[in-house]
Parts: sequence; C-alpha cells; structure tokens
Amino acid sequence: MKDLKHLIYFENLLQEANNDLVKQAKADGKRAVGYTCYFMPEVLLDLPGCFSVRLRAPRCTSPDIATYYMSGRVCHYARSLLERALEGGFNFLDAEMATETCTATCRFQEHLQQKHLDSVDDMRIIDNDDFFCEFSDVPFKNNEIAYEHYAEQLRAHVLKPLNEHFGIDVSDEAILKAVEQQNEVSRLINEIGDYRKLDNPTITGYEFHVIQLVSLACPKYLILHYLRETAEEMKTREPDQKKDFRCKVVLAGSENDDPDFTKLIESCGARVVCDRYCYGAVESRQIIDIKEGEDPVYAIAKHYLTTSNCPRFMPQDEMRARKKRIAELAKEYHADGVIIASNKFCEYWSYERVIDTVILNRDFGLPVCSIEKEYINSASGQLRTRFQAFVESVEIKQIQEGK
Amino acid sequence: MKKCKCTCGCKVKKLIFKVLGIALVANAALFAVFFFDLDGKLLFNVVEPFLKKHYDDMDRKDTLKTPYSMDKFPKYDYNS
Amino acid sequence: MAKKSVTKALKDFWYGKPHTAEEGGRRIGELYEQPNGLFKHREWRGVKDTMYYFYMIWLYNYIFMVKDVMVMGGLVNFAKGVWRYRWVGQTYLPVLHWFDRGLEGMRGEAMKASAWHYRAMVSSTIRQFQRMFASDTRLHGGKQNDKYKHNIAHNETVWGGVFYPWDGEITGVPLEMIPYFVTCHVNSHTVLNYIDAVQSIGLPGDPCPMCQAESGIFVLDDVPDYAPAVVTCNEACDASVSTSTLQDWFFDKPLFSLPMPMLFDDPLVKKYVMREIEELWKFVEDQYGIPFSWEKLVKKLEQQNELQRFEWEKWDVAAHSDYYPVNGVAQALYRIYQTQYGDWEIWHVTDKKVRKILEKCVSKKINSFPQTRHRVIAWSCAPLYYSNWCTWAYNCWGLNVIINMDSLMFDMTIRTDSYENALEDMAQYHMWAPMRRMAVGGMHHMFELWDYMKRFNCDMVAMYDQLQCKGVQGLHGLFEDEFRKRNINAFWIPHALPDSRTVSRAEIRRLINDYMTTVMHEEPLDPSLLDFDDSMTW
Repeated sequence: MKDLKHLIYFENLLQEANNDLVKQAKADGKRAVGYTCYFMPEVLLDLPGCFSVRLRAPRCTSPDIATYYMSGRVCHYARSLLERALEGGFNFLDAEMATETCTATCRFQEHLQQKHLDSVDDMRIIDNDDFFCEFSDVPFKNNEIAYEHYAEQLRAHVLKPLNEHFGIDVSDEAILKAVEQQNEVSRLINEIGDYRKLDNPTITGYEFHVIQLVSLACPKYLILHYLRETAEEMKTREPDQKKDFRCKVVLAGSENDDPDFTKLIESCGARVVCDRYCYGAVESRQIIDIKEGEDPVYAIAKHYLTTSNCPRFMPQDEMRARKKRIAELAKEYHADGVIIASNKFCEYWSYERVIDTVILNRDFGLPVCSIEKEYINSASGQLRTRFQAFVESVEIKQIQEGK
Repeated sequence: MKKCKCTCGCKVKKLIFKVLGIALVANAALFAVFFFDLDGKLLFNVVEPFLKKHYDDMDRKDTLKTPYSMDKFPKYDYNS
Repeated sequence: MAKKSVTKALKDFWYGKPHTAEEGGRRIGELYEQPNGLFKHREWRGVKDTMYYFYMIWLYNYIFMVKDVMVMGGLVNFAKGVWRYRWVGQTYLPVLHWFDRGLEGMRGEAMKASAWHYRAMVSSTIRQFQRMFASDTRLHGGKQNDKYKHNIAHNETVWGGVFYPWDGEITGVPLEMIPYFVTCHVNSHTVLNYIDAVQSIGLPGDPCPMCQAESGIFVLDDVPDYAPAVVTCNEACDASVSTSTLQDWFFDKPLFSLPMPMLFDDPLVKKYVMREIEELWKFVEDQYGIPFSWEKLVKKLEQQNELQRFEWEKWDVAAHSDYYPVNGVAQALYRIYQTQYGDWEIWHVTDKKVRKILEKCVSKKINSFPQTRHRVIAWSCAPLYYSNWCTWAYNCWGLNVIINMDSLMFDMTIRTDSYENALEDMAQYHMWAPMRRMAVGGMHHMFELWDYMKRFNCDMVAMYDQLQCKGVQGLHGLFEDEFRKRNINAFWIPHALPDSRTVSRAEIRRLINDYMTTVMHEEPLDPSLLDFDDSMTW
C-alpha cells in the first residue's frame, strides 16, 4: 500500500509527550491537562482554553529513580511515567486530572500531587508553579447512582478546579462545543478504522494505532486537520493485491501505547483489525450523544461509564457481558482470533486474561493467544515466537474447517 | 478376721480413691501429652500426612468447565 | 556452688527461667525440633504459669473446641467437613500450636489476656465453619436446607455489620475468612495449594497472593455451597476486584458488588457509598424476602460501639503505660477479626475477661513485658504466615509491638441517633476497610504513621513490605525518604502475605537481627532465638 501522507509526522509526534503540537498549543496560551485513564473524560479537558494529553513515556526502558520510589514490583507503565516526570518530561503540564482507577497509576499521580501535609514532603516533580493535581473518584459500577455520583465528581474535581485555577469556561455551552470537537475526532477515527473491517483492509493495525494515539496525545484542535486529510486519503487508498497477512486478530488487554507492539504482531502475519485495550479506539472514539435538554455533565459521566469495558467494573452482569463484547468485536471486524495481552503487574488484566482465554475459546470458538508483556517490549524475540505459533495454529484451524 | 461393718462407707471411700486415682493418672497422662508436645507430634507426623494424602487423592471437579452464562443474572439496580 | 545451683534450679522450677542470657536465661530456641518447629517439650514457665497454660489454655481450649463443634452444628457435620475440605482438616487440627507460637515466652497476665483473645478467635472460627458445613449442599446430598436459605455469603472484607438489620434471620458468613485468612496463621502449608491452583490455570505469580489464594480455593473446588446469594466488594485492591470476577464464574450465584471508594475523605464519596449500602439492603430484601429492621440495626451497632469503647480503653493503657497485657500478635489478630466480622457475643465475653486482667495490671502496676527495649509500631499489612514474629521479636530482642496498623483502621463508633447518621458512619466504617485505609488508600493515610507513633509513644517502626501489594510498593521510596528525614529507627519486613515461600520466616528474622546488630548495636536477650530452622513449621 502507498504510504500515508502524514504517517511519519504522526510517528514523530509520538516520540515525546511534549511534542510539536503540544508546544504550539502552549504557545497559543492554552493549558495542558494530563490524564492517564479512559475514565477521565478527555472531552472535559478539551474545553476552550485547555487541551488534554493522555500521558505516555515513549522509549523509557530503564525507570531507575521511579523504581526507587515505587519499587520494581509495580507496573512498568506507571514507573515509566514517574521516571519521565522526574526527568522533567512533563513540566509542560499545567494540571493532572487523576483517577484512582488502578493502583499503580494512582500512586504515580499521588507522587505528582502537591500535598502540603506535615506527614510527607512535597516532591515538586512537575516544575511548574501553576501545576496542580486533582483526583476524581470513579465508580466501580455503571448504575444510576454511579452516573449521578460521577457527574458530581466531575463537577467538583474537574470543572471547578479548571475554572478556579485557569478561568476555563465550564458552562454548558463550552462543554457542548468540546463535545462537538471530540465527536468530530471520533467520527474521523471511526471512519479510518472502519477500513479494517474490509476483507483486505486498506490500513494496517500499526498505522491505525499511530493515528489513534496522536488523537489522544495531541491537542485536538491542532490534530483535526491532519485527521481530516488522512480520512480523505483513505477513501482512495488501494490495498496490496496480495494480502500481506495470514489472519486477522482483535488485540485486547491492558494499557498499550506502543505502536511497535502492534507492528511486532503484524510482522508475524496477524493483521490487528480491532484495538480493545486501554488507549484503543473501541471505547474512546464512540460518539458522545447528549440529548436535547439533558445535563451535559451527567450525559458525559454516563457515556464514559457505559462505554467502558474495563475489568475494573464489578456489577455481575457487566463482569460477564464484557467477554461477550470481545467476541462480538471479533465478529464485527471479521477477526480469526483474539490476542489478549496484559502488562506485567497489571492485576485487572492478569485475571481477566485468564477468564477470557478460557471463555472466548470454549464458548465462542475463538482461538486465543494469551500473553504477558512489558510496557516497552524489549523481549520481542519471545513474543515473536508466541505470535508466530499462534498465527500457525489459526491457519491450521482454518484448513481443518475447510476455509 | 473381723469383717468391717460399714460396707457402704468403705465402698464410697474406695470409689472416691478410685476416681481420684483415675483423675490423677489421666491428669498426669494429659500433662505428659501437653509437656512433651505429643499432640503436636501426632498431628504433624501422622494426622496431617494422612489427611494431605486424602485431599491430594480426592476427585475434584474441573472448575474450568463451569458454565459462564452471559445473561443469567440481571442488573441489580434498584434506583433506576 | 552446688547449693547455689540447687537453689537456682528450684527457683527456675518455681518461677520459670529468667528471660535474658545474663541471668542464665531460658534459651527458648533450644526447645524446637528443627525444621518442623515442634517442641522437644513445651516451655516450662514456672509452676503457676505452666499449670495455667496447661489447664486454662491447652486443656480448656481442647475441651471448648469440642464443645463448640458439638453445639454449633454437631460432630457429624464437622467430620463431613473435615473429610471434604482441605482447609479445615489440614489447618485447624493443630490449632493449639498456633497458641504456642503466639504465646511463647509469655508469663502471667500477658499470657492470660493474649490467650483469651486467641480463644475468642477459635470460637468464632468454629462457629463460621460449622455454619458453612451445616448448610452446605455438598455435604447434604445437594439439599438446600433452611440454614442455607438464611445464609448470605460475602467477601471477607465486606464488613459483617451491613447485615445487622437481619440479625437472627440472615447469617452473614464470609467466603474467605475461614477457608483462607485464618488458615494462614494456623497452618501456613494449606494455602500454598490454593496459590498453586490458580497459577495452574494461567494466572501470573505477581498479583497479590492473598487474592490468588482466595481465587485458588474456588479453582480447587474447595468452597462450601452454603448460601443462595453473594455480596462482594473491591477491597482492598485491583486484584480483589478481579478475584471477584473469577469467583463469580465458579460460584455462579446472584452477586451484589458493594463498591469501596478509595477517596473516602471526600464527603461526596461518602454520600455515594451511603446510597450503595442502601442498594445492598434492597438486594438482600429482594433475594431473601425479609424486611430491613432499623431496630435490629441499632441494637447491634450499639453493641459494636461497646466493643470499640473498650478497645479505646485498651489503647489508652497501651499508649500511656507499661501495663498493657496483650502481646502484638493477639492485639492485631483479635482486633482485625472482631472489627471485620462485626458484633458477636464471644467478643463481649472475651472483653469482659480481658478487662479484669487489664484493670488488675493497671491497679497493681504489673509490667507484663518487663524486657521491653523498644516500643514498636507495626505498619502496613503483616505476613500472615508469621504473624507471631512480634512474639519472637520480643523474646529475642525486647522489641515490644505496642500497636499495629490493622488495629487502628476502624477508629470510630457509629452514631445511632438517626437513620442518616447511622448510614453515614456505616459508610465511613465500610470505607475504612482492612488495608484500604492505610495500605492501598490515599497516600496521606499511609503517613498517618507519624501521628500514631506519637500517640502510642513508640520509638521504632516495623514496616511491613508486602512485596506484591502495589499500593504499598508504590510508596516505598517516600517512606525511605521520610524515615531518613525524621531520623526514625525503622526496619522493613518483606513478605508475600500468605506465601511463606517468597520470604521465609528465617529470612525475616535475619533481616531484623541484622538491623538490631548493625544499626542499633544491641545484643539479643535470648541468643538461642537468633538462628534456627523452622522452614517446615505449620
């Protein structure tokens, strides 16, 4: 396939958290607001006057100082973020909108927080006088009480501080404007992503992963133009005559902001056609629908709690339904199998992976490759062997089924 | 020899001594069990290995075969 | 010379050998058979204390265990349960050895008061597993009897108090407290089967081993089927959430999730949890068809408050005098057991007995731990397989663990003057669950350590380092920084909660020994306890 016009530019944007577009937005006088988890509605951090940056620590392979603070027995992602912060890589942030949605990233964000307590010294990791870090409580359930509670949390711990610290307009009109912008990004990403449903997709999983990540890591008003052009370009993009993959897979699992991981899978012959993981598009790029007369904050809270498939959710029906959703995604994207990848030390996905591995195969007939990985995958040799073996097993299954 | 006339009292005395004797012996035996940790030794060397073998040999259900119905249970939401 | 030694022998016989090496000490370490930890003979504590231990602890507990079993479910159910479930048969038979390990070297009032705490835990344990067995469909040909229909199973970290409104009608029986949590203290071998079982289905070895064990019991099909519905929660951590997911698959029963937010200082959060507790109550009514009773709730809460008030009295004595007669392990285990389980008659009976001893110690100024060199506060989560490390630490080094994090979590009574107030306090209590507040909860709560250290007049910290607890590990460096900055004597105790294979007991002792010799430059009180092999101990 012909190279995408902006792919190299996008790749470059992903080399640093404080990338060119972030710098440009800061130069425009906008406030940079960091976050780590899907549950923190990025749309509220993209209100006029500020922009969201989903934090990443690309190329961080040796988080030594963070390991002193968090020990070596905590998720590599959280430690890498702390290391990057300690190196000064997040000094551009004006605020961090934190969630206690997993223990490791919670602790990372607590390190950023200026606590002003007698009991423990402030570390002033983010060297920015304006910086503050505020936590919101994200419910473990998606019922009516939870929607109301989360809406209240967002008002008290996101909108109010943004307004008080930076004078951000948090009116309903401003929120609706941000929703409109977010929905446009989502529509474009979905439009691009839908090409993965073709029999011979005209976009690779790697390319899509890069595009999705820039939409999370860059100011939306600056990246939109590039996304529009890419969506336009995709309309006429021709696939290679001969398929350069041997099977199609859904990639599900824990935090993954490393496009090279997707590239590694694809180099083994599996085309990643769906990204059901933290930082993926399946959830984050669903259209936010606010009905006429509906309170936009409530609608946003509800949207984020109903669209998430995170294994953090505890209601019984939800625990079970999310397995079925992966199977449905495999069907929708015509995938031949599922790769479930959990980050080492990620407790949610360690368990979820065990259950998915059994249930998706047993009850839905889907071949499953179950792996554990690091945040930055230096041990790619071992993973490559696993993926190659999986692709072969899928092919054998297809031959046996006469496909 | 002159026979004791108070047969009844003697029997009671004997019984008391017998009971006291048994209690004393039982007490001493129990104290020996306690002091020399004979209960611990029995449990560690005999009872636990026996039970462990029993549990190890037990037929157990393959729990991974437990059905996992997606729609079996409703949403417990009493506020909606 | 001979006369002197005869006199000493007589004195040792009558009073027991003295503690320290200088006084020709008792050398407790020489009593062990190695590596199984059995005793060549049990310790001679002097005539009075040995007889007390023999009659009032060893014999008394054996007799009352049998009595409890008979009264609370019967011998037949017990026998069936022992035959069916590894965790009861392999674990609870050597329970008197658990007493021995915790009460080793104790004399007089400390021995008595601590033993009463143990007795209460044993009784409560029997009550729970007998209730399980009496209701278990697996032991009764698949039949769901009346007891079954009036039980509710719940995660061990769901506070039993949320079921007070159905006192006498519905019995809350924690799912894991007896099959997992208590077993680790009594016989640390059993739990390894469960940890291995869950790893055998593909779970990595790094999630919290407590959660692994709690899942493993289900994987090994070793959970009684004793209730029609389940209540779970996300205490204490991510792995607990996921454990619930795995348990739900294998248990396959109606399950209600009671959330436990971490940011419990936020009044908005409390309001949310209040609503969720009410949701739970509706779930119980819905599942069992028995209405909520405010009167029962108030009655039980008031009884629980009584327990808390006595605990405060105990803390007061512990903090401000040398007369506190409860050792570190009894304090920690009894307190966590009692607060988590909720109000129960045995706690009141025990507290009454302990109060008598406490009052005697205070009025007669009895120092129950006369060899105390350092008053220690133990912080974070303790190693379950070596909860009696503090007994060893006192005997060997004079480190007297005055208080611990587990005891301090539920530092509150619950108002009963109105429904709103009661619910608000219940929400708070629920959120201050074990490990949540001071291990995985907001980090500033972890650093409440300094306040409590001051409050209890402690001069040293035993910092538990649960190697697989992401919440504690995530703050490791900040603690190091603060210890240095504040010039606090602190030693770390690395461990993996129930899994004795990760850090052995001997390794824990070695680390403390090293600290005491190289940093504190102190000599052991009893050198026989410095190094011994107890790798096979229960």
